[in-house]
Amino acid sequence: MNTENLTYEQSDSFRELGNIGAAHAATTLSTILSTSVGIEIPDITFVNLANLHEHLDTGVVAHVIFQIQGDVQTGGYVILHIPKESAVRLTNLMVGAGDPGPDRELTEMDYSAIDEVGNIMISAFLDACAELLGLILLPSPPTSIFDIPHAVMESILVTLPGIEDIDEVVLFKTNLSCSDHHIASNIMLLPSRETLNMLLERLDKLVSG
Amino acid sequence: MQTPNETIIIGIGEHHTGSEVMTSIGLGSCVGLIIYDKEKGIGSFAHVMLPKSQGKPGERAGKFADTAVDRLLEELQRAGSKRSSLIAKLAGGASMFQHFSGNLNIGERNVAAIKELLAEQKIPILKEDVGGTVGRTVTLYPAQKGKLVIKQADGVTREL
Repeated sequence: MNTENLTYEQSDSFRELGNIGAAHAATTLSTILSTSVGIEIPDITFVNLANLHEHLDTGVVAHVIFQIQGDVQTGGYVILHIPKESAVRLTNLMVGAGDPGPDRELTEMDYSAIDEVGNIMISAFLDACAELLGLILLPSPPTSIFDIPHAVMESILVTLPGIEDIDEVVLFKTNLSCSDHHIASNIMLLPSRETLNMLLERLDKLVSG
Repeated sequence: MQTPNETIIIGIGEHHTGSEVMTSIGLGSCVGLIIYDKEKGIGSFAHVMLPKSQGKPGERAGKFADTAVDRLLEELQRAGSKRSSLIAKLAGGASMFQHFSGNLNIGERNVAAIKELLAEQKIPILKEDVGGTVGRTVTLYPAQKGKLVIKQADGVTREL
């Protein structure tokens, strides 16, 4: 699959898919925090591996990473990114620590809280996508890492099948934010080629059907 | 993404030879391969992603350990470097997570492949900072005797 071949209509239906997934994920976050969570229009970018650094934050970010399983053999990944300060604000709210400020160091409690939030949000994201497409898409157990996004993303990319031949990847990114508490995050979908093809096929059917 | 003009960013699969400051932001399982000429004060930097090329046309030399080592040596030779004044430094090759399937221990395999190739070419590895579980931002200063500065996400900074 040459990603440059994504038509306007295909990009559009992908954006809609991302929108539906992210809306469900945002609802779960909103319930956890008892406050409103907004989502932006999903962004679809074709990224040359050599320029990946231009598309990612350079600071420390909490990543909750899931491998997509189910109807796809080599599914790819869904990743929840929460910048460190937002992660601290989020867990302050969740564990009821009041607000000691975003500058404190992260603890084990923060890591498990972030894991849990990621688990709930990403399950909702994938469920919504799967239901729309009539597929079974299941998240693997989460792995969370606090590190520089580029280091994490390249370590993920290298596990995609056929990476030897791939110099360009497609990133589906949706920003979520909770303005009441200054919490920013995004959900990134990084499909394998097999998954991308399957999603496109299903989307085409939906649109034409 | 603020970097001074004279700093060259080496992305995944890219490489560069010269006396400019070169940096790779956030090396995970990839390895920063540096070959430095002690006499001329120039360096070569590649951001290596995988141990072995497929030998297909259009492949990026810097992406694979085997083609990267060849290409860096070629460029240094063209710049007038003598084999005897070359040394190597390595950074990166972390294992950031263990749970996922596909390309297991790729960081380790990248490092092993590069070491073997450098040994074949008789280029000594002067210093290395490889493995572990954290990402590294790596910057090479050819004009400062090939100083290599490594910064981790947790703020720890080392000099090789």
